[in-house]
Amino acid sequence: MNYLIPLMVVIPILAALIVNIFGGKDKTVKAISIVVAIAIPVIAIIAAVGIQYFGGHDPALLASSLPSNLMGTLVASYNTGIVYVFENIERIFIFLMGIVAFLAVLTYFAEKKEVSGPYLYLIFMGIASVTALMLSNDIFNMYVFFEITALTQVGIIIASSTEDNYEIALKYLILGAIGGPILLLGIGFILGTIGSVNINDIVFAISNNYVNPYAPSLVIGFALILFGWLYSAGLPPFHTIKSAVYSKARPNGSAILQGFSVLCMLAFGIAMYKIFAYVPYFNTAIIVFAILAMALSIAMSAMEVDFRRMIAFLAVGELGFIALGFGIGTQYSIAAALFQAANEIVITALLFIGFGTVYYLTKTSDTRKLGGLIAVDSKMAIMVLLGGFALAGVPPFNGFQSKLMLVQAALDAGYTELAILAIIVSVVIFFTFVKAFHTVYLQPKPKDLKFAHEKIPKATVFSVAVLLIICLALGIFPNIVTDVFIPFAGGLI
Amino acid sequence: MMDIQLASLFASGAFIIIGLFAAIFIDNLIKKIIGIAFIEEGVNLFLICLGFKAGGVVPIFLPGMTADWFAANAAYPLPQALVLTSIVIGASTLAVMLALAMVLYRKHGTLSVSEMMGDEK
Amino acid sequence: MIEYIVIFVAVVSAIIALLQNDLLKAAILTGISGFCVAFLFQILLAPDVALTQAIVEGAIVPVFIALAVLKTKGEEA
Repeated sequence: MNYLIPLMVVIPILAALIVNIFGGKDKTVKAISIVVAIAIPVIAIIAAVGIQYFGGHDPALLASSLPSNLMGTLVASYNTGIVYVFENIERIFIFLMGIVAFLAVLTYFAEKKEVSGPYLYLIFMGIASVTALMLSNDIFNMYVFFEITALTQVGIIIASSTEDNYEIALKYLILGAIGGPILLLGIGFILGTIGSVNINDIVFAISNNYVNPYAPSLVIGFALILFGWLYSAGLPPFHTIKSAVYSKARPNGSAILQGFSVLCMLAFGIAMYKIFAYVPYFNTAIIVFAILAMALSIAMSAMEVDFRRMIAFLAVGELGFIALGFGIGTQYSIAAALFQAANEIVITALLFIGFGTVYYLTKTSDTRKLGGLIAVDSKMAIMVLLGGFALAGVPPFNGFQSKLMLVQAALDAGYTELAILAIIVSVVIFFTFVKAFHTVYLQPKPKDLKFAHEKIPKATVFSVAVLLIICLALGIFPNIVTDVFIPFAGGLI
Repeated sequence: MMDIQLASLFASGAFIIIGLFAAIFIDNLIKKIIGIAFIEEGVNLFLICLGFKAGGVVPIFLPGMTADWFAANAAYPLPQALVLTSIVIGASTLAVMLALAMVLYRKHGTLSVSEMMGDEK
Repeated sequence: MIEYIVIFVAVVSAIIALLQNDLLKAAILTGISGFCVAFLFQILLAPDVALTQAIVEGAIVPVFIALAVLKTKGEEA
C-alpha cells in the first residue's frame, strides 16, 4: 500500500480545517500554513508511482467472490471503488501547484499583517480538490471535486475584499451552478450507457465494442461534458467572467486561481481525450474553442487599460494554447499542451504576483494613472519583464520551448494555418505586454501618484525570483518534463 | 399508461428546462437561484431513473437473499450513491448563493440582477 | 396512479413557484416540489436517497430561501 497517495489530498484538507479552527492566533496559523505548504510539494516528489484502490475494492481481489450470473460478463471487470492513479505526470503538476501555493501563501503573509483563517482554509481546500481532480480516475469523483473547486474559487474572490468582488463572485457561482449540473448530466448519460463511472472501465467498454461507440447517448454525454470543461477552463463563452475573476482576487489569490483552472482543464481534458477521442468532430470542436479563446482574449487584453484585467485576459488566452494542443491530437501536440500547461502555472503566477506589487505599492491598477515605478524597485521590474518574455515565448524561457513544440506539432499534423495563428498570437501577447510594462514602469511618473507602501516585501521578491528560476530551468532543460509528457501522450492515443 | 420510468425521465427533463429558463431569463435573483435548485433536482431525478428496474427490489441486501437473486433483481445502486453526494453539493452551493444574494441586496437595495450589474459599470 | 399525480404536482408546483410574485410562497412551493421528488425517489427504488431528498430539498432548502427572502424584504422588485 502506498499511503502517500491519499495523504496528498488528506493533508491539505486537514490543514484547512486546523487553520480555520486557530483563526485568531496569527503565529500558529502562519507556522502551520508554511509547514503544510512545504509538505505538499515534498510529498509529491517523494511519493512512489502507484494506484490506490479506496475501501480495498481491488477488482483483482474481488473477482472470485462475485455472484455466478455476473461471472465473465463486462460488469465483472468493473472497478467498484474510487481509484486514484499517481504517475509522473501527476507528480509534476501537483509539485508545481504546491510550489505556487507555497509562494502565494508566503506573499500573503508578507503583505498582510493579520492573516485570515477562512482565506487560508479556502486556499488549502482548493489545493486538496485540484490534487484529487488530477489523481482521480473516476468521473463522478472528479465532478465532486470540480464543484468544491468552483466553491473555493468563489470563496477566494469573496475573501479578497476588492471592489465589486461580490457581483463577480455571484456571476461566477451562478454560471458554475448551471455548468456543474450540466456536467453531471453528461456523466449521467455515460453512466446510463456503460454502467460505470471509472474512466478505465468506460474506455474498456467502448474500445472492446461492448456498447455502440456512436450511440447518441454517448455523443450527447460528450457535448454536455465539453460544456462543463469550457466552464472549468474559462474558454469562450466563459473567458470574460474568468478574467474578471482573476482581476478581482488578491494577486496571490489570482496566481492560485489560475493554477486551479489549469489543473481542472487538464484533468477533464485528459479524461475527455481518453474517453471520447474517437467521436467525430472531437478535434474540430476543441480547436474551434481554442482559436476563439486565443483570438478573443488577446484582442480584449490589448484594449484594456486596467493592467490586472489585461494580465487576466492574457492568462485566459494562454489557456487557448493548451486547448489547441489537445485539439490537434497528435502525440507531440498533446505533450506540447501538457508542457504549456506546466509553464502556464508558473509564468502566470509570476506575472500575477509581480504585477500585484504595483497594486500593493500604489493601490491603483489603472495604467493611465501609473508610471515611473522602475525607480522604486528595479529588480522587481526586471523580473516582471523577464516573466513577460517567458509568457510571450522569448528564448531561453520555458514559454519559448512549449510554444515551439506546439507550432512544430501543428506543422507536422498539417495545420499550417494554426501554426501561423499561434505565432501571431504570441507576437500580439509580446506587444501587449511590452506596452503595459512601458506604461507602468518606464514612462515618466505622474505627479498625483501616491504610494500606499514604500517598499516591496522581501518575501514577494523571493517568490518572484523562485518562479523566474523555475521558468529558466524549464526553458534550458525542457527534458526534465518532456521526457515524462511525451510517453504519457503516446499512451493516450 | 406510460411507464413510470419514462414519465420520471420526462419530469426530469421538464425540471431541467424550467430551471434553465428561470436561471437565464428571470431577472429576480432569488428566483434565479430557485431555478438553479430545479436544475439540480432534475439532474438528480435523471440519475435515479437510470438505476430503476421495473419489478425490481430496493438495492439493500437483506438476510435470506442469495447473491445471485439479488444481482438479477435489485435496482442499480451506483447512481443512488452518486445522487446522495450530489444533493448535498447542490444544497451547499444554494446556501452560498443565497448568502451572496443577501450581501448584494444590502449593498444595492434591490434583487434585480440587471440593476445590480448595471450599477457596477 | 398516484405516481403520475405526484409527477404532475412536482412539475406544476415548480412552474407556479417561478410565476409567483410573493417570494415566500415561491419558497414553500419549492419545498412541495422537493417533497414530491422525494416521493418519486421512493417509488424508483431509492429509499435512502428519498430520505435525504425529503430533508434537504423538502425542508432545508425552502427554509434557506425563506430566510433569504425575509432578510431581503420579500417582495419582488
